[in-house]
Amino acid sequence: MIKFLLISFFIFHFSFFISVAKAASLTPTPDDKAQAIRDQLITNIASRVAQLKLVEKRGIIGTVVNVTNTQITIADVQDNTRFIDVDELTKFSNPAAKEIYGISDIEKDATIGVLGLYNKESRRILARFVNTITIPYIVHGGVSAIDSENFAITVTEKNKQITADVETLTRTYAYTQKDGYSRSGFSKIKENYSIIVVGVKDIKDNQRMTATRVIFFPEIPARFSK
Amino acid sequence: MKKEKLILSFIAVLFGLLVAGGIFYLLQAAKTVPSNITKIDPVVSPTPTLIPSVFLILDRPKNEEVVTDKVLTISGRSAGNAAIVIVTDSFEDVIMPALNGDFSATVKIDNGQNIIDVTAIAPNGESVTIKKTVTYSQEEF
Repeated sequence: MIKFLLISFFIFHFSFFISVAKAASLTPTPDDKAQAIRDQLITNIASRVAQLKLVEKRGIIGTVVNVTNTQITIADVQDNTRFIDVDELTKFSNPAAKEIYGISDIEKDATIGVLGLYNKESRRILARFVNTITIPYIVHGGVSAIDSENFAITVTEKNKQITADVETLTRTYAYTQKDGYSRSGFSKIKENYSIIVVGVKDIKDNQRMTATRVIFFPEIPARFSK
Repeated sequence: MKKEKLILSFIAVLFGLLVAGGIFYLLQAAKTVPSNITKIDPVVSPTPTLIPSVFLILDRPKNEEVVTDKVLTISGRSAGNAAIVIVTDSFEDVIMPALNGDFSATVKIDNGQNIIDVTAIAPNGESVTIKKTVTYSQEEF
């Protein structure tokens, strides 16, 4: 009687383990094999796609901070430090250079444009083309002073002031709700107008620039003037 | 005899369930939850922040993008009453966004690297500027 009771108890309890073990030791069917191959293929493709996406073409502009034979360090437009790797395939150019131009000709504080392969993991660019370029200097602010005799405008941008020389070749535009975007002239610019000046920064004077384009807004008061 | 076996099997199942239930109950009772832990939400006094009257979101182009077409679409969102000024190396324009603030414009870019400078200026003079670098190149590497 007791023997029978014990046997019944053990059969009942161990039946669960037996069923699990049996399920695990089943031989794979052709469907299972196909599924395994499919899973492996998906994994391989995903891995390859990730590898391909790891590197992409990118072009950046920045000011040279440091140069070595294999690396250029620049501060980009957003003032982030960027590392540029240079190899034997990298081509250098400078429109102003008359002779062969190479990495040794790149100087500190020069503005360069880099086109190359950006590695998302290392966050470095392997340069393919490095060009010394000139980028427009753009000032957004308010007119704080006008020098009508010398055709110069003082623009206040946040905490700094810059004097823009308006030349005969400077294109001046005004924007109003009524007339929209239209050609204008230096004499129409008044103090306290919002203004955008595009031009070239003076190499000798850090607070002076030559304006090539001026856009002013007679209806929008300056935020940072005086 | 058969009836006896059936009753015994039933008793065995019942016994097994009782044992399992007992173990489960004991395990649950052994778990103690510390009663002294009370969650205190910090009371933070709100600091007044100046909400800017203008904002600018530039959806296109992507920064540092390399394109093979010289005609570039610039699109984004800003305040509906802001003036959007687009300045590139050789182009400038002022556009007004739609009532919901969406704006879109096409510009022609130069060879090599171009800086796309987009500024949103609110009627009160407040402004936001986003600069993006876009490179036109057909070089294969």
